[in-house]
Amino acid sequence: MRRGRHPLLALATGGLLLLLAAVLGGAAQQREPDKDTTAMIQASYIYNIAKLVQWRDPAMRNGPFVIGVMGSDNLYQELVNKYANRSIGKQPIEVRKLPELPEVDRCHILFVPGIDRALLPGILKQPNARSTLVVTDFPDALNHGAVVNFLAARNTLKYELSMANADKHRIDVGLTLRQLADKVVE
Amino acid sequence: MKRTLSIVVGTVLLATGALAQGDMLARVNQAYRAGDLKTARSLADEAAKDPALASTAELWVLRGFIYKDLYKETAGEQAATLRDEALASLYTANQQDHERQFAASSVPAYWFLAKTIYNDVARALGELQPERAIGLYAKYGEAVRRMAPDTVLTAQDVEYWNALGTVYVKLFAEDRTQFKWYDKAVAVYMHVLQLDSSNYGANYNLATLFYNRGVYNIQRISADNDIPSLQQIQEASREFFSQALPYMLKAHRMRPARPETILGLEGIHYSLQDEEQSRHYRHLYEELRHDELKGKDK
Repeated sequence: MRRGRHPLLALATGGLLLLLAAVLGGAAQQREPDKDTTAMIQASYIYNIAKLVQWRDPAMRNGPFVIGVMGSDNLYQELVNKYANRSIGKQPIEVRKLPELPEVDRCHILFVPGIDRALLPGILKQPNARSTLVVTDFPDALNHGAVVNFLAARNTLKYELSMANADKHRIDVGLTLRQLADKVVE
Repeated sequence: MKRTLSIVVGTVLLATGALAQGDMLARVNQAYRAGDLKTARSLADEAAKDPALASTAELWVLRGFIYKDLYKETAGEQAATLRDEALASLYTANQQDHERQFAASSVPAYWFLAKTIYNDVARALGELQPERAIGLYAKYGEAVRRMAPDTVLTAQDVEYWNALGTVYVKLFAEDRTQFKWYDKAVAVYMHVLQLDSSNYGANYNLATLFYNRGVYNIQRISADNDIPSLQQIQEASREFFSQALPYMLKAHRMRPARPETILGLEGIHYSLQDEEQSRHYRHLYEELRHDELKGKDK
């Protein structure tokens, strides 16, 4: 039988190219939001953390429940898309994308990514951050004032918790959040 | 072709001098030459019931050509039946053609028809009809092996299974809740790798399937998921990412300069929370792009 270029080959190649574009399109530097699994998991953790802690400061129990995000566009978008229509108690969630500056809005939860770690000491000195639960994603962040720090463990994303930093920010951490942490620093 | 065939059959009939049989074949031939395929078909079918005629290659080659021409002017399911008849007749002709008098016309006609089945496989795949494609490809294989039992179809099999896998991937992409398509795609690519473990497309596509499945689990996380369920989802996805890794690595080793495998590895490691490896492949990708851009500037 004579062999030429088979029609299936064209289809297979075409299909493969489509697949490549669909799955791995876009440059690596700017990860596509729908492939940013870390941002999706972080957003879910942040929402759950919000439900499992209490703020002692009465001023934090009124108005919107503010989640501030520095740095990560994908995390911000994920929080907006999936959680911004929810409430924590009676406080509707408001997600804010914050500029990368030490002067921050008053937030219930503030996410500071590793890329902005140098800003953390300045942020924590702000009166606005007195009752803020700072969430981070870089090593040794608990020693720099973070209450919750994301970390990789067994190829999944977990979190560690600083009870001392929570107390410093007048935040009561629920037992569940504590029990489910990968590591708790008293 | 029609004319040539008629002359060949006519010559043989004269030579054999089989008058009664010759009459019948001559009538079939005449109808065929006149383009009256309906009558030619009816006569050929009638003739095939005669044991004496049925043992001649002439009848079967003529019948094969009649059915082939009918197939060419018919559409739909009926066309497939006509093609089957044509193939069977041409094959029988070839079996009975001990003197190889008709081989020059019957054999190419047979392969032409076999190739049309293959083209239909491609069409069915293009129309995302995997079941039809599977049936047709089985028929194609039978047709090839019937005429040439020693034919090795591995290369074509790999090509077909890869294309079938792509169809399942597309069907799964249309509805991510239909995991049957995912399962079928995985099975198909695994089968390709059994046939050819160094098939780049199957390695890459399998890795991508596993990776996407892991990502899809995580994409479905909602406000209803508490921390324990979030951790369960991560563990389930980790299995998929871990399954993806060896296939993507193999694809990368086979074609180290392909950006999609480098990005694939970057994405898998990122989802496995392996920042160091993810960064490694990101740098590799950026270097590759840098080299490409430099190449274009020259």
